[in-house]
Amino acid sequence: MFSDLSAQKEGSSLLSRPASEDQGPAVFERTSLAYSPCSERYSVGERNFGRQYAHIYAARLMQMRPLLSQRAKQKWGSDVLIRKLCDMQTGEQCCIVGTLFKRMELQPSILKEISEEHNLLPQPARAKNISETDELILEDELQRIKLEGKIDKDKCVTGSVIAIYGAERNDGKFTVEDFCTADLPLQRARPALSADRFLLLASGLGLGSSRADSMLGLQLLVDMVTGQLGDLGEQSGAATISRVLLAGNLLSQSTQDKDASTKAKYLTKKTQAGSVEAIRLLDELLLQLVASVPVDVMPGQYDPTNYTLPQQPLHRCMFPLSSVYPTLQLASNPYQADIDGVRFLGTSGQNVCDIQRYSSMDSHVEILEETLRLRHLAPTAPDTLGCYPFYLKDPFILEECPHVYFSGNAPTFESKLIKGPDGQEVLLVTIPEFSSTQTACLINLRTLQCEPVSFSAFSADEDEESEMNISH
Amino acid sequence: MTAKRGLITDSFKVVKKARRGGKQDKRPTPPPPQKAEAEIETAREEELQKLRQFDLDCRFGPCTGISRLERWERAKLHDLKPPEEIRDLLLQTSDDPEYSQSLWSEYPV
Repeated sequence: MFSDLSAQKEGSSLLSRPASEDQGPAVFERTSLAYSPCSERYSVGERNFGRQYAHIYAARLMQMRPLLSQRAKQKWGSDVLIRKLCDMQTGEQCCIVGTLFKRMELQPSILKEISEEHNLLPQPARAKNISETDELILEDELQRIKLEGKIDKDKCVTGSVIAIYGAERNDGKFTVEDFCTADLPLQRARPALSADRFLLLASGLGLGSSRADSMLGLQLLVDMVTGQLGDLGEQSGAATISRVLLAGNLLSQSTQDKDASTKAKYLTKKTQAGSVEAIRLLDELLLQLVASVPVDVMPGQYDPTNYTLPQQPLHRCMFPLSSVYPTLQLASNPYQADIDGVRFLGTSGQNVCDIQRYSSMDSHVEILEETLRLRHLAPTAPDTLGCYPFYLKDPFILEECPHVYFSGNAPTFESKLIKGPDGQEVLLVTIPEFSSTQTACLINLRTLQCEPVSFSAFSADEDEESEMNISH
Repeated sequence: MTAKRGLITDSFKVVKKARRGGKQDKRPTPPPPQKAEAEIETAREEELQKLRQFDLDCRFGPCTGISRLERWERAKLHDLKPPEEIRDLLLQTSDDPEYSQSLWSEYPV
């Protein structure tokens, strides 16, 4: 673990007598590693928004059907009857592959809001949009059928492709006895590394917010990585951090002022966008980092790039200071790369947050595991999550199993090692939002162990207490 | 005033005569090459009919918003065995929108 590594050298503590001058300053060479980005599948070349989303669902089902038929045969025997909905007979035990659709009463709908007949107030924003009356429906190319039985409707989300086993009843509903997902794809073997090397993950820096309380922690993080903190032991530990990945929401939500879209142009002509100052801050921060270590920057929900997934890399022109360094890598969201032979895959967290809103699952790491089992990064896109209208194939279907699967902007740090049916081993990591938790995490590429690093000097509660003391 | 009136009536007359003349001219002329054209027309109609059948085959997914060739390529990519003759036909006639675009392309999305 990183904490052991940097605390190894007892002798070179800061409390000891300074080393004699003729020794010269200690130099720690930063370990470098092989890096190859494999995010081509997440780059959108032509931008054609004239298509409907029917294509992405059709392509998803086309891609998943063979995988799921195979899994169904593994699970229920090779002689299992796999039917399409149109060929199915009432009462016949069979297996059906299709896309789930969950009809949710509480799902925000623009049509409901503008309907004059009801004259409703805008629906309040909810943390969860599920209710007792939700219905689960399975769709294939032609038809749909309501599902009942042994399937947890609160846990399922719209857009996931699954195989169900059971029979249709006389009333036209399908009684599910069992179901299966596509599960983890095959994984390449991880190369054995000789030395400990670390990758630092952070997300949700939240620059440009009105509260600047995360700035001290952020500066500490930068100083720790660049080796300007602590004694020689800690500095030599910092040299083993060979890459930094910033997973989205580098800017705070408050930089997206809604005034610009609602106010008249002539009133806001002279006001500068909130993101301008924040980007300048980010550029200066990145400059400190990239001068010392390679950095990958992923965009997130509040960052100045396109809103729909896959988000394209932030433009270089926004970083006049840091973009001259070859160590700055502006990446897409979702992100995929081979780092020293370890396959990383992850997002800035939009997919996970959206599933949290439309299912009973709360833990981000549990949702991550669920998406991995479904073999789909963002099943709720395009239903409740913005997504580019692909037609040829669905790029969010996992074709290769990653070794590390992460998502950013989680409320807390969590990690879990899961095992797949074919011996796959995947480390799931949720990267906490830095601005609220002051925590980043370090992954050891050799052992795939993960630990949080916290930079907070004061917790929020203590702050409140000290304020109260002042008022006394 | 008189000059203007004269001009307007003149122009109306001229236009009316030209239109009538044009229509009358067109009606008698088509019959002679009609046989050859009719054969081409039926062949074309058959081809288009095949393409429409391809459009309506639900195995290959939705057909709106993308060209027929794109839809064929997608079906091929996902191993759904789309008929090869459709592709040949589409490649031969790629510059004719009636061939390359799907049945519903005229409708706004």
